[in-house]
Amino acid sequence: MLMRTNQMAANTSVAGSDKARPAVQLDGVTKRFGDSIALHEAWLKIGSSEFMTLLGPSGCGKTTLLNLVAGFLEADGGEIFIEGALVTETPPHMREIGIVFQNYALFPHMSVAKNVAYGLKTRGVDKKEMARRVDDALALVKLTGFSDRKPRQLSGGQQQRVALARALVIKPKVLLLDEPFSALDKNLRGSMQVELKQIQRELGVTTIFVTHDQGEALSMSDRIAVMSAGRIRQIAAPDDIYRRPADRFVASFVGDANVLNGRLVERSGDAAVVSIGDVRASVPAASIAEVSIGGSVDVFVRPEHLSVTSRGASGSLPGTVTTQVFQGGHVDLYIDAPGSARDHILLRSPGIAALSSCPVGAEIGLSIGSDDIVAFPPGEAP
Amino acid sequence: MKRSPGALLLRWSGRILVAAVLLFVLLPGIVVAISAFNDRAILVFPPQSWSLRWFWRAFSYPDFAKGFWNGLTVTVWASSIALVVGSAFAFAIHRYKFALRNLLEGILLSPLIIPHYTIGLGVLILASQTNVGRGLPLVIFAHVVMVLPFVMRSTYISLENLDIRLELAASSLGATPLRILFTVTIPLLIPGLLSGWLFAAILSFNEFTATLFVSSHATQTLPVAMYNYVREFADPTLAALSVIYIVVTATLLTIANSFLGLGKILNVDAH
Amino acid sequence: MNTRPFLGWFVSPAGLVAVALVAAMLAVFQYSVRAYIPGSLEVSEFTWQNFAAMLRPLYALAFWNTVLLCFETAVFTLILAYPLAYALVRTNSSALRSFILIVSVTPLFLGEVVRTYSWMIVLGNNGFLNTLLLKLGLLDRPVQMMFTAGGVVAALVHVTMPIMVIMLAAALSHIDRNYEKAAESLGAGPVRVFLTITLPLSMPGIVAGFSTAFAWTFSAFATPQLIGGGRVSTVSTLIYQLGFSSFNFPFAASLSIIGLALSLAVVALLKKAASPLERMAATT
Repeated sequence: MLMRTNQMAANTSVAGSDKARPAVQLDGVTKRFGDSIALHEAWLKIGSSEFMTLLGPSGCGKTTLLNLVAGFLEADGGEIFIEGALVTETPPHMREIGIVFQNYALFPHMSVAKNVAYGLKTRGVDKKEMARRVDDALALVKLTGFSDRKPRQLSGGQQQRVALARALVIKPKVLLLDEPFSALDKNLRGSMQVELKQIQRELGVTTIFVTHDQGEALSMSDRIAVMSAGRIRQIAAPDDIYRRPADRFVASFVGDANVLNGRLVERSGDAAVVSIGDVRASVPAASIAEVSIGGSVDVFVRPEHLSVTSRGASGSLPGTVTTQVFQGGHVDLYIDAPGSARDHILLRSPGIAALSSCPVGAEIGLSIGSDDIVAFPPGEAP
Repeated sequence: MKRSPGALLLRWSGRILVAAVLLFVLLPGIVVAISAFNDRAILVFPPQSWSLRWFWRAFSYPDFAKGFWNGLTVTVWASSIALVVGSAFAFAIHRYKFALRNLLEGILLSPLIIPHYTIGLGVLILASQTNVGRGLPLVIFAHVVMVLPFVMRSTYISLENLDIRLELAASSLGATPLRILFTVTIPLLIPGLLSGWLFAAILSFNEFTATLFVSSHATQTLPVAMYNYVREFADPTLAALSVIYIVVTATLLTIANSFLGLGKILNVDAH
Repeated sequence: MNTRPFLGWFVSPAGLVAVALVAAMLAVFQYSVRAYIPGSLEVSEFTWQNFAAMLRPLYALAFWNTVLLCFETAVFTLILAYPLAYALVRTNSSALRSFILIVSVTPLFLGEVVRTYSWMIVLGNNGFLNTLLLKLGLLDRPVQMMFTAGGVVAALVHVTMPIMVIMLAAALSHIDRNYEKAAESLGAGPVRVFLTITLPLSMPGIVAGFSTAFAWTFSAFATPQLIGGGRVSTVSTLIYQLGFSSFNFPFAASLSIIGLALSLAVVALLKKAASPLERMAATT
């Protein structure tokens, strides 16, 4: 069932690209390590110039998938195509890919220029053109004048730029990024993300980006493939992933989500109505197709879609504030609402008004914004 | 992965090369093992008839038995003394700056480079000048000098890997330096100390060149006794002894490998 | 508060050992500049004669032979040990890993005498190799392998293999595999990856292994003595002959001083050649 949805998602036309031939295509690619399955029948089509992110917790199979595309691992089943050519059995050095590793892997015994020139040398590019292309690549990443430095003389951010220049100078068919920001401190990370995205758009290079950071994924990607336990759970644009998660895992991994106890009231076409206590909400019907009318469902509501009203107001749930956390631009309220939810409910109140209006112990009402609420059959783990 | 003919050729020539080198390493051991069962007193290859008598001779030859016990005595004393002296000093150079620190360290590590015959000759001349007899203590001293660098190094590496915050935590809980040493530092260093001792013991038991200079007939260790034997006799007794040696060593190493992870001790595990 | 607890306790014993070691080395120095009284351990007046005698062709040749022998041994050991170390670090099979590790490390713990003795059986005129080659019809009569420099080098290579394998494997195991993957992604085939990435990055291990093999060979005595059988004279065999056959300890002392100086010089030279490489590797 799950596999079929993946396949359907993979085969729907790629957003922002009307080219018939995908830049990268995985047809049911499987990878095992001994008895454990690291990647289970992955189906994926990545359009030309698309920025595709593989998002998931560690051990979900995203790095395995990246290594399979790069050729560092051998698939146990399925086929991989790059620009329409079958590459499943092509060794990495013939695949024309560019990679930026988590630790950058700049050759420590070579200068910046030699690092960048390495891929051109293997291609037998003549000296003059090599020098020109190395200069261009260094200019692209704003490192003109750093040619003769050794990698150890560069800061983390500069090392990453060199790694990017080295990967891009060979005009790769695909650019692979393996958690490239995780070694940078938070401020630098933000500016590097913006810069990388600019360069990627400018060059129009097809990019596969691996990360476990949902913020990075949501802000940079054209589309995201959310992965868990060796399977692709959902492939969609960032806002779709956030607003219409395909399953419990995606709903709880991407962004914060409150799980409320609900009941299916009625179903009409694509939509369904669920009730949480006295509150009613409209949700997509597809994800709870197996639940019968009157059966219980888990309703996933984002913290920012909840708001505080007075206790007893119509269409609200009763709750008690247990903790306030001041976050600068907003206030997080943790609310105890027995009967409506198993755990504390997180409510994100914009501004700072909630600091004084909702003190700890305040008995309040919770109202639910009507948009972007999803429900799934009840279950323990995501 | 589909392999081009070139890649396949590379792969197989690599395998054949490794196999050939392994054969080179194994060959003398195999040849010795076969010779040890040769019945005749003169070594010919291949043996015409078979016998175990050289094994009996290896066990009954008095110089070997004496050499074994001398060697064991020297080994246990030398590696234990080196362990105490060397690890205490490694602790001091790891933690403190003090006068002559680098000079002392340099002197004590120098036996790694000084040829063993120079050490043997020096200890022998020093003993004769100070009228110290050529007893076991002299042999033990020479061995302590030679194995000390190995113990120092293994303790130093363990200290590098020790999280100093554990000692700070113990200190904040009111432990005195002495108590910290015995309840935190030493227990955490035990694997390093143990492997340092083992390494020192094996080297000491096998040390030959310097021992030849400093030992007398009464204090000769097993390698010296074996050397003297091979100069006098050509029969396969030594082959039999070598087989015992190889089997015991390989068994000990296999055990050490499965319990301790030889790769980790020798620092050759991939990262 | 004592910020350096136990300092005195921990340093004093080591200090004593160091003092005794220095005294022993000084004793060698002192003997090396004394005249020799035939048949006695006692020495007589101060003289430079011992060092002057070393300029005689017999001794100069022994030094040259020793350096050559050490160099050849270190080169061959390096060439043979590299594939083994590479296989040890890179094989995926844990059984093969353990096998290579045990096989290549066991000889380290066997001592020089046992290993040299085994080579005597391999190289002898009636030994394994000659018999094998005769049986295969590759030879008509035995080839002299014992008592030759070639035989000594073969045995010494075997003696220094384990330490070389360990040092190379340590260096190879510390190379981040991503360097090689990055090179592959940039279009380098296996041979180019090895020559431009793996080999240069393992240089610290090569230098450490090479200088250790050199120093060990310089120090080796049983192998040149037993396999060389007096026909291959090295510094160590000369010292032993002088010391124990003619009891000329002053001359033996001066030889070992020069031997010490020579091996220190070679090791220092190798270190110097390696230092830029090691600085480089230290940052990886």
